Amino acid sequence: MKAINIAFKNLSRKKIRTALTVGAVAIAVAVLVSLMGFDAGYQRGLNNDINKLGYHLLVTAKGCPYEAATLMLKGGGGLRYMKEDIYERIVKDPRIDKITPQLVSTAYNQEGPGGRGAFSLYMGIEKSYLELKPWSKFKSGGWFSGNNADEAIMGYEAAEAEQRSVGDKIFVPGIEKVLTVVGIFERNGTQDDGIIFTPLATAQRIFDLPGKLTGIGIKLKDIRSIAKFEEDLYNEPGIQVISLAQVRGTILNLISSARAMASSIALIAIFIAVIGVTNTILMSVFERTREIGVMKALGASAMDIFKIIWMETTLVCVFGGIFGVALAAVGSTIVEHIIRQVLPYTPAGKLVLIKPALLVLSFVATVIMGLIAGTYPALRASLMKPIEAIRSGE
Amino acid sequence: MKKIIFVMFILLYSFSSYAFAAVGCTLNDPDRDVKRLFPESTGYRTDFISIKEIGGETLFQKIEQELGDKLDTVYETIDVPYSFYGVLKGKEVIGQIHGVNQKGKYGGMQLILATNLEGKVLNFYYQKMSSPEASKFMDKNFTRQFIGLTLEDFLKGNLKISDPSKANHEDFLATLRGLKKNLILLKELKLNSESQSK
Repeated sequence: MKAINIAFKNLSRKKIRTALTVGAVAIAVAVLVSLMGFDAGYQRGLNNDINKLGYHLLVTAKGCPYEAATLMLKGGGGLRYMKEDIYERIVKDPRIDKITPQLVSTAYNQEGPGGRGAFSLYMGIEKSYLELKPWSKFKSGGWFSGNNADEAIMGYEAAEAEQRSVGDKIFVPGIEKVLTVVGIFERNGTQDDGIIFTPLATAQRIFDLPGKLTGIGIKLKDIRSIAKFEEDLYNEPGIQVISLAQVRGTILNLISSARAMASSIALIAIFIAVIGVTNTILMSVFERTREIGVMKALGASAMDIFKIIWMETTLVCVFGGIFGVALAAVGSTIVEHIIRQVLPYTPAGKLVLIKPALLVLSFVATVIMGLIAGTYPALRASLMKPIEAIRSGE
Repeated sequence: MKKIIFVMFILLYSFSSYAFAAVGCTLNDPDRDVKRLFPESTGYRTDFISIKEIGGETLFQKIEQELGDKLDTVYETIDVPYSFYGVLKGKEVIGQIHGVNQKGKYGGMQLILATNLEGKVLNFYYQKMSSPEASKFMDKNFTRQFIGLTLEDFLKGNLKISDPSKANHEDFLATLRGLKKNLILLKELKLNSESQSK
């Protein structure tokens, strides 16, 4: 009889114990795969979000870098404003390829969902905004009729939430203003999907912020000149320059503590699973001391016994690995939903990225873990002396 | 053991692919909202049902006919899953809560109706409304006028509800359309199919 058949038979004797051990391994593997998938997905999503901003640098009023990063990626609230003349000074710099001023503002609707109120995000822009974002296409309608028109272009999701079509009116709560929808953007998977855009001058007028901006997006002709450009702007009073690399670093810093904690939990779960597997197999060896003695007395070599016990451990880890990677692959949507509820900022797109290579790697790692966990019980069983084993088992 | 693992796998897979699908209009805080609308309730059961799965194109046309208006080709399509909250008292279903999205003059409205099992309105409120005169519409003096009405009242057109706003008659008409649509969907997707299955 082959070692694998005997190992199967031995494991099936104690079905519940085997199932629990396999389950513990599966959960540990699923947690590990989900975490690694999250790490890969978050970084890819973040890079994608930043690239889709369309600019290399954002000039904002001096303030907290976290606030600036949020402003850059989500539009943000509690905003600081800078004077528009800064734009006039920067725009003439010959190193600039494209530049766009913007004014972000929020409106609070106290008659929002559930009577709890909700914020809507508005952004005043000029046509140069579209030059920096060539992927922003109109689903219907088009650009504003004038630079100071009471008109709005809605992001796809904003239009969907308010059931707006071109020609409809939209009410801006708080400032009691009515705008006409002249365009709706196609969905592009960025923060723009949820924003309501107005001409810059309109935003400055209706939100009572004359001559104010919240940001200036800049794309340079030569990306290698970023450092020098930043340095030159350093002396401008009241502003700060944020590069894409800084934003990426700031966001990753924000989630790094959560990531470290989750990784520690995953490592502890794996450690407990390894101890659990070793303990289960060791118990099984002790329970079968007499049986192992008889096998040896009938001619089984130490290597035969080692192989059987080792195979049992490996089988537990193989099945645990299979269930674990399946659980991670199937449950990634749920994990993603939970993460989105917990984290303050999550990029658009798939947040938990589980590639086949990750599944294969995790499965192989689990099997190797099984081989390591099974070494001690297998050695212990293979080194038993037949007579002593038979006697102690009586 | 094999059966348990198989069932768990299927449940997990079904949940992951369906639970986060976009739905018509859900309650923002179902636990709190159900208890507020039906204080005697002990729980609720949520069903997501689309026109497509109950009666397809035929039912879609029937609903349009009853409504007396075309359904919007973007926001009121045949495959929108509407959420119905069956309110439970113990094991017994004592009422229904159903919300619909309705296009208003200045933005989307969410109209929530609590009804008994015959489709009679027990309560009505706006979960969301964007309008300069939103407070007039959301005032209880206006919304309580709908209590006791049934779909029949809407179909016969003999409603004695007064417009709370002076300058926003379109939102008043949109409210009436939305509530009529709500009651038609409740009848066709929930009450009728439940009475047929009994």
